[in-house]
Amino acid sequence: MTHDPGGTRTDRGTRFLIPLLVILGLTSLYPTFYSLYMSVFDWNWGQRFNFVGLENYLELLSSERFQISLWNTFVFTIGAVAVELILGLSLALVVNRLSRGAAVVRTLLLVPLMVSGIIVALIWKVILDPTIGPVNLVLRQIGLPPLGFLGDPAMGMASIILIDTWWQTAFVFIVFSAGLQALPREPLEAAEVDGAGFFARLRYVILPMLKPIILVILLFRTIDCMKVFAIIFGTTGGGPLTTTESVQVLAYRVAFKQQGMSLSMTAMVIFAAVVLVLVMAIRRAGRSENPVG
Amino acid sequence: MSQQPRLTRKNRQRLELSTAWGVAIIAIGLTLFPLYWLFVISTKKPVDAFKTPPDLIYIPDFSKYVEIWQQGSFAAAFFNSVIVVGLGVVLAIVIAAPAAYAIVRFRVRAGRWLALWLLLAYALPEFLFVIPMYVLYQQIGLFDTQIGLALIYQVFAVPFAIWLIQAFFSEVPRDLGDAARVDGCTELQSLVRVYLPLAAPGIAATAVLVGIVMWNEVTIALSLTFDESRTVTIAVASYRGYAAMRWQEMAAASVTAIIPMLIFALVAQRYLVKGLTFGAVK
Repeated sequence: MTHDPGGTRTDRGTRFLIPLLVILGLTSLYPTFYSLYMSVFDWNWGQRFNFVGLENYLELLSSERFQISLWNTFVFTIGAVAVELILGLSLALVVNRLSRGAAVVRTLLLVPLMVSGIIVALIWKVILDPTIGPVNLVLRQIGLPPLGFLGDPAMGMASIILIDTWWQTAFVFIVFSAGLQALPREPLEAAEVDGAGFFARLRYVILPMLKPIILVILLFRTIDCMKVFAIIFGTTGGGPLTTTESVQVLAYRVAFKQQGMSLSMTAMVIFAAVVLVLVMAIRRAGRSENPVG
Repeated sequence: MSQQPRLTRKNRQRLELSTAWGVAIIAIGLTLFPLYWLFVISTKKPVDAFKTPPDLIYIPDFSKYVEIWQQGSFAAAFFNSVIVVGLGVVLAIVIAAPAAYAIVRFRVRAGRWLALWLLLAYALPEFLFVIPMYVLYQQIGLFDTQIGLALIYQVFAVPFAIWLIQAFFSEVPRDLGDAARVDGCTELQSLVRVYLPLAAPGIAATAVLVGIVMWNEVTIALSLTFDESRTVTIAVASYRGYAAMRWQEMAAASVTAIIPMLIFALVAQRYLVKGLTFGAVK
């Protein structure tokens, strides 16, 4: 960046960005503005096409079902991100202790990341099944009552969080692992010489040094969790009742099962605004430390 | 007396190491068990698949794998995915490589805004663009086509690819690019003759990772394909029949869909960490 002899090089750079601008415009700007436009009509994939102003927004914001789906999405995101962060960090610290064999352990733990969300959903539908699932099989063997898991309104969301934890903790784990390996040795050794115990070193040396990495993890896990769809679609479909219905599951149902085109686009405009505000907030917290963006 | 502290320290370290191994082995067990169970379901005889208690030792029967390939619709979906991923990855690299080059080598005007746009495009919840694209694709004939799917996948693939390629390009010594320019190369030639060859392993790893994400994609494929260009993940989901779940076919199809991704991940193993950390960690 230091040697830039004039404005001309900047202009040459712009040329290399044209394909990017075209594709990003088509795949992100166009649909966003189209959704904004359609959100003030009452289009139902038929002949009806009347201007309704902000009626769709008012209808959604006062709709209990939309509020529930937003609430569910937040509960899922906070639950899954918290569990995965703690579990991923703990695993990274443990595996970092292993001198020989650590690379093999890391590779094996990464496997779930290579599996599609829909397959993850179907696997866990079997694993947690009340009659044919191995988890309930074991519970029955040791004399405990079987659990409903995905079919129980009280356990549905916890089960979805469990499934996401199995699927995505590896991401948190591998980023923390890479971060731990890149840490400079001296501050840690100094703290150890000073007699700091493990938790003191974690709290005052390791975690502060890992802050930029924690923000990257938080950013990408939050984005991913807010968008949750496949693992719910493939297991509960949003049920029992509406206990696991996320905003994206609701949007899918309204758009493709009920042909509520304008209404679903309005829901997504509201939700996208929520997600983007969250992203900006996390990004701001990590400004100048976050290499991405 | 002087020996005792050293001994306890050694013992403590040994205890720590065996505890660490214990935790690691439990974690690996919990990670791999669901996949093992999937494989077991796909290879048992129908009468034995859900017998309680399950047989722990049995002779694997691969007839379900043969069956799903012979049905044709799974094979068609599998090859649809191959085509969508092929098209999508090529498109992503062709768009992302020059953009990453420009970001690394020049002070791009409004570069900060571009970085923000990439992040926000990546963060967009799928149905925000899927529903409008469904309407557009119906009108212009791209609905249920491989090219249509590969095109819309760029919304997440291009930002992802740019972050990675940017990280690989910034490792190329600046002087090499400058030397090429002095020797009379245009910027395009410097990209093609200096940067791309030097970052070739990184580009390949990027292609593999983008390909894995596309192969596994569900939300967009579910909404923008119907029959003709249904992808492998949607084919797996379709074994959920109206009356009952066809578990064994589903399991065999799932294993078939997972295996190529595991192979690709192993091939790109060296670069996997950088890829999974979005180029943020070396």
